Amino acid sequence: MSRDAIAGLVVFAASVVLFALTLDLKDSPLVPVGPGFYPRIVLGLTALLSLGLVVGEFLGRRRRPPDAGLRDVEAPVAPAARPNYLLVALSFGVFGLYCAALPALGFRIATFAYVFGSSVLLSRPRSAKGWAGALVLALATSFLTWLIFERELSVLLPRGRWTDF
Amino acid sequence: MFDLLATALVNIAQFKYLVPLFCGTLAGVIGGALPGVTITMTIIVVLPFTFGLDPLQGLATMTGVYVGGSAGGLVTAVLLGLPGTPSAIATTFDGYPMAKKGEPGRAIWLGVWASFFGGLLGGAFLILATGPLARIALEFGPWEFFSLFIFALSMVAGLVEGSLAKGLVAGALGLIVTILGNDPVMGQKRLTLGIPALEGGIDFLPVLIGVFAFAQTMTEVERMGGGRKALAAVETGVKLTVSHLKVIWEIVSRPVLLLWCSFIGVLIGVLPAIGGSAASMFAYDQAKKISRRPQLFGSGVPEGIIASESSNNANVGGSLVTIMAFGIPGDAVTAVMLGALTIHGIQSGPLFIQQNAQLAYGIFAAYLLAHVLMVIILGLLARVMLRIVSVPKAALFPVVLVLCVIGAYALNNTMSNVYILLAFGVLGYAMVKFGFPLAPFILGVILGDQIEINMIRAVMTDPDPWLFLTRPISGGLLIASVLSVAFAVWQHRRQQKKGVKPVEDDADF
Repeated sequence: MSRDAIAGLVVFAASVVLFALTLDLKDSPLVPVGPGFYPRIVLGLTALLSLGLVVGEFLGRRRRPPDAGLRDVEAPVAPAARPNYLLVALSFGVFGLYCAALPALGFRIATFAYVFGSSVLLSRPRSAKGWAGALVLALATSFLTWLIFERELSVLLPRGRWTDF
Repeated sequence: MFDLLATALVNIAQFKYLVPLFCGTLAGVIGGALPGVTITMTIIVVLPFTFGLDPLQGLATMTGVYVGGSAGGLVTAVLLGLPGTPSAIATTFDGYPMAKKGEPGRAIWLGVWASFFGGLLGGAFLILATGPLARIALEFGPWEFFSLFIFALSMVAGLVEGSLAKGLVAGALGLIVTILGNDPVMGQKRLTLGIPALEGGIDFLPVLIGVFAFAQTMTEVERMGGGRKALAAVETGVKLTVSHLKVIWEIVSRPVLLLWCSFIGVLIGVLPAIGGSAASMFAYDQAKKISRRPQLFGSGVPEGIIASESSNNANVGGSLVTIMAFGIPGDAVTAVMLGALTIHGIQSGPLFIQQNAQLAYGIFAAYLLAHVLMVIILGLLARVMLRIVSVPKAALFPVVLVLCVIGAYALNNTMSNVYILLAFGVLGYAMVKFGFPLAPFILGVILGDQIEINMIRAVMTDPDPWLFLTRPISGGLLIASVLSVAFAVWQHRRQQKKGVKPVEDDADF
């Protein structure tokens, strides 16, 4: 099954589930249409469109000549670097941890840890100077953002439940 | 009108507005020059800094980013052959060859001055057209607004590169985001999925920040450590001095080219969510078609640079018109500006210019002054830009994401917006990987509530559904929506028959 068909099926399933949930919504006596009216239109349309995507994909495959895919495979392809999905997953993971740590540790400590961890993850320092650079970057980001936003612009930043900092 | 503009120009030239405008333009120029960082990303990063400012200061900063970013991409496009933003891709075609021929200064300044003139022409349209268009929109009832928003959404879904079906599904997904949480008419809870954070609905700004910031940074992250060439050896001793009068004459002596390409830029800017890259590519193509020496395009002709840069900056004026007259963002950058307006409690749409004339004219004035500042900044810093582009992304991206967190958190000082940012960051990246365009999704998120509110208002006023079709403007807009989708279907089929593959890389985030 192709990428498009998988995506289409996921969207179709999600819209059908949400559509079923709208059936529980009660109409309001104050307005001629209830809170479920518009969502049902949107979800019905989404289900139809995603189904169209899946059907279009299958029909497209059937119409394609059988050797078309083979030709694609055999054609000389310029060497391209493989996407580093592991790094992407780890980056999302580190960011997720940062989001989880923010209310507990507070903005300054969590940001320091996140910027240090993330910059080291994206480009591992190879010398003491590199490590020092990552530390300075983390410290500067944490301190300067706090100074500019909380002190100068009066924008409140998360305070730590555990640290009160 | 001109009195108001003159007053606004004097007002914006005050230190308290000039400093944020200068900072915004500088940030825009730098963000535009950095390959892999788009104007959208720059404006998202700048957004939290505007929370503590007054509305005009904040919007002047954002206007500066928009104008500066639209021109900033040309520096690296010309000197390194690397477009800083997708909208500078067409500048590379002739800018880089001209620089390689030993005329880097001429190439840079042709781009800068073309941006300046194109931007001013876009500004003239912005100032002259916003008021009359807003007055037309004031005549609209809920039927017309509903149809206008449907038209905007269908056009964006149809005009995206790649699959039309995916464009439509992306737009519908955006609409789904707006039905989660609560009903905008009666405030009744619906589809909260048992998640308390969804009870108040989903604010569009964290969604927008998450989708764009992560789609872009993670797409860059996946290329890291893959043996890509770093911009290590950047030549910074390049000579950029030229006779400015001579360069300006080169541009103004081609009035048809300048006017036509600026017109294209404005027109594409007015169409929702298409962006500067489409404007500059289309203008470049048009310049080639009207040229008496099309065979020379791509070898370093001034027409190529003028076409790309003038349309690209005129596009900014066009984008601002749609948001100021109709409340529909012309692209992701104006969508963030719309968010900034909401944060300051200002309602965009047809009443905006009438109810906030000082602010509206302040934006016009900021737009005009930003062009002057952009020329000054590029004149002083063009060479320094070459050093800035070698900033390691490993240092840049964590800082950018921290600023995104601040932007999301500070909206209402709750962590739920930060979690929404993360969730939509994952969704945005997944959408990019599955080839779904982001523009219709975001437009769906922004317009969803308004579509529902206007539909319910229309039904409450008169339950006859045929009114959507029988009222002339509403019916016309709905027919235009169907035609735009039909045109897109026809165009995609034609491309398929020709075997042309849609370009999915370098998306104009």
